[in-house]
Amino acid sequence: MRFNEKELVCLSRQPSEMAAELGMRGPKKGDVVKRRLVKLVVNFLFYFRTDEEEPIGALLLEQCHVEREDSQTFSIAFLDEAERKYLFECDSEEQCKEWMDSIIKASYEFMRKNLIFYRTEIHRLTGKDPLEQYGISDETRFQVNSGSQLMNRDTSSL
Amino acid sequence: MKLNERSVAHYATCDSPPDKTGFLFKKGERNTAYHRRWFVLKGNMLFYFEERDSREPIGVIVLEGCTVELCESVEEFAFAIKFDCAKARVYKLAAENQAAMESWVKALSRASFDYMRLVVKELERQLEEIQDAAGAGGQQSRPKLSRRNQVVRSRSGASSSSSSSSLSSSSSAPSMAAVYSAQKSLQDEVQLISGSSRENGVAWSKPPSASANGSAEAAPSRAPPVPPRRLGASLESPVSPDTACFSKLHDWYGREVEELRAQWLQSQ
Repeated sequence: MRFNEKELVCLSRQPSEMAAELGMRGPKKGDVVKRRLVKLVVNFLFYFRTDEEEPIGALLLEQCHVEREDSQTFSIAFLDEAERKYLFECDSEEQCKEWMDSIIKASYEFMRKNLIFYRTEIHRLTGKDPLEQYGISDETRFQVNSGSQLMNRDTSSL
Repeated sequence: MKLNERSVAHYATCDSPPDKTGFLFKKGERNTAYHRRWFVLKGNMLFYFEERDSREPIGVIVLEGCTVELCESVEEFAFAIKFDCAKARVYKLAAENQAAMESWVKALSRASFDYMRLVVKELERQLEEIQDAAGAGGQQSRPKLSRRNQVVRSRSGASSSSSSSSLSSSSSAPSMAAVYSAQKSLQDEVQLISGSSRENGVAWSKPPSASANGSAEAAPSRAPPVPPRRLGASLESPVSPDTACFSKLHDWYGREVEELRAQWLQSQ
């Protein structure tokens, strides 16, 4: 499958709060733990050899499952291949929790749920759709149910 | 560079609802003819398939850090996706009619993760304002943010001691107007965060209910955890051990007291 690699590499250079050296192990049998610079940018997890500028690879963090493996280790698995886990070894329990939390929240789908929650709440409290004044009420991506619209005063549709 | 392609392709075809689908003509890379492809937009990923019923996408365009523009072309209803990085490719696409072109340009312009994050932040801020304004008796309706999820909206680099004005926020118009202009020029998104700093100083004193576990499933009455912060945003909070600055703590306490006092006066 083709993808815009150059632009993705460019994306990997963006500043990120979540960037650290972690032990990383790939999902294949025989993969061993290697020290990598792991960096979270939007909904991608980039990983670099510690002394290199260009990432070795990227993981799109949609439809994935994050799990605690032990006190300092977590794994990411993708829903289509649940047994194939990418393992990440952190330096502390705190760091492990922080990474897990950040990765869970780093998906577009997660943000969409947040948005729908806020939109619904604001509508409930004020009777107004907060997106209306910005002309984006009808955008599919902001709908409570795919395709259904938010009507003023009619919260039954939510 | 490697990518978890199988899983990305799975995302394209899984049952999560797409944001937009339709036929578009795509200009080839080597063969510069336009080819008709079936496009599926999900989040910030624009997939394209050979046919509508193809099981796997031919490719994907990650829509982050790009602008969508109408373009001069022999081809009618043409538009381009342009990236802001060196030697970036320009993706030329064409719709089948004017309405489709406009619809796609709109949808693609707002597809980035950054844009979504901006809108979420804005709504989150609005909700907080509404809940604060609800005042006495409305305490329970505040989102019960666990310590982990408390977000301090201090502007990166700026020290914030004048937080008292932030409750009566005058920043709603500028920041969301800025979001509106983001629809026109995506590249400015970084500067759009409101100029006045706000701190989430009032929620801390209420005992948090069951702490948000970071799960994507938010209980209907509780706000979901906040999305990741941008670089430079402070991680200080009233109860964080990192908050070494007493004047900041003092201001937070001060606002709390001020609010309580206002409520007390109201109830007299």
